[in-house]
Amino acid sequence: MNTDAATAASAERSGSLLNLEAVVVAFGGLQALGGVDLKVWKGDRLALLGPNGAGKTTLFNVIAGDIKPTSGRVIIKGIDCTELPARFRPRLGVARTYQKTRLFRGLTVEDNLYLAQTGRSGRHLALLRSGVDAEFRERARAMAETVWLADVVGVTAGDLSHGQQRQLEIGMALVTGPEFVMLDEPASGLSRGERERLVQLLLSLDADITLLLIEHDMDVALRAAQRVMVMNEGETVASGTPDEIRVDPLVHSIYLGSEAGLGGADP
Amino acid sequence: MSPTGAAPGRVQSRRTLRRLLSARNVVVAAATALALLLPLFGSNFFVEFVMTRTMILGIAAATIVFLAAYGGMVSLAQYLLAGVAGFMVGNAVVAQDAWSKGLKLGWNPWVAVLFALAVTTAVAFVLGALASRTTGIYFLMITLTYAVIGYYVFGSITPLSGFGGITGIDPPGLFEDHPQRMYLALVVLSVLVYVAFRVLAVTPFGLALQGIRDDPVRMASLGFNVSLHRTLAFTLAGFTAGLAGVFNVWWNGQIDPTSISIGPTLDLLIVAVIGGTLSLEGAWLGAFVFVAANNYLRNLPLVDHIGITEARFNTIVGVLVLLIMILSPDGLAGIIDRIRLGLRRLVQLSRGSGAGPAEAAAGSAP
Ligand SMILES: Nc1ncnc2c1ncn2[C@@H]1O[C@H](COP(=O)(O)OP(=O)(O)O)[C@@H](O)[C@H]1O
Ligand SMILES: [Mg+2]
Repeated sequence: MNTDAATAASAERSGSLLNLEAVVVAFGGLQALGGVDLKVWKGDRLALLGPNGAGKTTLFNVIAGDIKPTSGRVIIKGIDCTELPARFRPRLGVARTYQKTRLFRGLTVEDNLYLAQTGRSGRHLALLRSGVDAEFRERARAMAETVWLADVVGVTAGDLSHGQQRQLEIGMALVTGPEFVMLDEPASGLSRGERERLVQLLLSLDADITLLLIEHDMDVALRAAQRVMVMNEGETVASGTPDEIRVDPLVHSIYLGSEAGLGGADP
Repeated sequence: MSPTGAAPGRVQSRRTLRRLLSARNVVVAAATALALLLPLFGSNFFVEFVMTRTMILGIAAATIVFLAAYGGMVSLAQYLLAGVAGFMVGNAVVAQDAWSKGLKLGWNPWVAVLFALAVTTAVAFVLGALASRTTGIYFLMITLTYAVIGYYVFGSITPLSGFGGITGIDPPGLFEDHPQRMYLALVVLSVLVYVAFRVLAVTPFGLALQGIRDDPVRMASLGFNVSLHRTLAFTLAGFTAGLAGVFNVWWNGQIDPTSISIGPTLDLLIVAVIGGTLSLEGAWLGAFVFVAANNYLRNLPLVDHIGITEARFNTIVGVLVLLIMILSPDGLAGIIDRIRLGLRRLVQLSRGSGAGPAEAAAGSAP
């Protein structure tokens, strides 16, 4: 108990919002994460890069509590969350999006954004509407505007275009008023213009908000982030500032190279 | 919202009024009025038998639709829960000196109702909690297991079910020898249940339930207690099924384990499927079609000629259900919806231009 409290206190003091200690995730024989350590500080803008199958989404799932790590610890705001189910994360200010959109397809855009807020508030068991709901509704409509969905607030989420669904996905994470946001490939499926708007949106986020971003679009990732971590086959292989990463030869060979076709033949 | 800023309250209330006057609501209101006036012109058999049975089955089937449409859970335990309420009423009201069996507590019938509903709700809570971690086919199988186990439990605990069942269960004085009153009470109860379920859909609770139907993983990551929500929805549906069960036992005057066996359980599912498991109105529509088919199709003169017996009759009902499911997975309500959409498209075509887009967007909700 005592040591836990001490860790918590020191983590708080050093400002570490998220602390991953030797996180391992194995799916049967396949090791998706092979002992990842990661410290994220309040206000960090961290981009996660890496080829498909590198384990980026798995890392998100572990942090969000959607899967439990095979071993290792997940500490958020000094609290050991390794064994806590996903539904306790929002109380710590954690919000995330999914690479494959997870929306309430039978509900309208506004209802999606409304529901996203009620989970944390404990209002979701209520049978009556109250003043708080009016506030939630107000905020839902404001967020719809922020993610460029103002003219489709009344449309059922399942009827939105792919790009609009991606935008709603982001809105549902941001509308909770999170302190720590994890976005899993938010730019995928967006047009060039929409990507530009997305970058602007990410740059306009409150400086207090901590952002963890998985993004294949290097331009988006390197502009939105202040720090970059590169993963490959479940391990961290490089980290640094966007400028350092841009010129890192290792990164080029395993990631940029393969994408730009510069990989060349095996030695 | 309103850019002019003029009297937003009035705009709001006019919009509310227009929403209340949707085609769906008008049809439901008309059907309700017809049902309430029915005793004035319908035959006694039609009112006291066909329509009374329709209302009872309709309420019970509506609980299946509620769970399926809003919660994404297809429950086969609803008839069992109605049966639990029926058995509790039976045990509570039959007097000590009666010839019947059971606990024979001899309570006031209204106290018995409260007792039955309390027990049913508690049972539903426990069963719901146990099933709440499953979805889809697993939920269906667990609730089917409940139905089967329930049948054996009541069959084997004979002090509760009295070997061959409990007979001579009288409804309260209000309804005894007043079958038309019972029918009217059931119409009113049907309306209450229908309105309650529809209002519930737009409460924070109901919206969260629909969120869980659409994506439980997302809901959990947003901070919702998914299984608690499912459990509470199941409990509410169980309570409502209990209401149907109370009227059912009053109407039958008796209850035995066979009456909650797999046969009636599947019949109720058939009712929901005929009507359309995603449409609340469909529950009563399906109940009417089912009861009417059961009562009238048997008496067709033709039927004797081609030698249709009870068993073959069930085959025909089965084939009918299959046909409906193939033609329209969302039941008769789905067929009606499609006809409406088709007609509207025809009208639009003949006018040569598209009408308001608002209409097309509406009506997709369950
Ligand atoms: N639920 C799962 N079950 C089995 N294997 C999985 C599961 N989720 C991910 N994987 C595997 O783990 C590896 C990492 O996947 P993922 O984290 O999605 O990679 P990334 O997001 O970096 O593309 C992949 O090989 C993938 O096939
Ligand atoms: Mg991924």
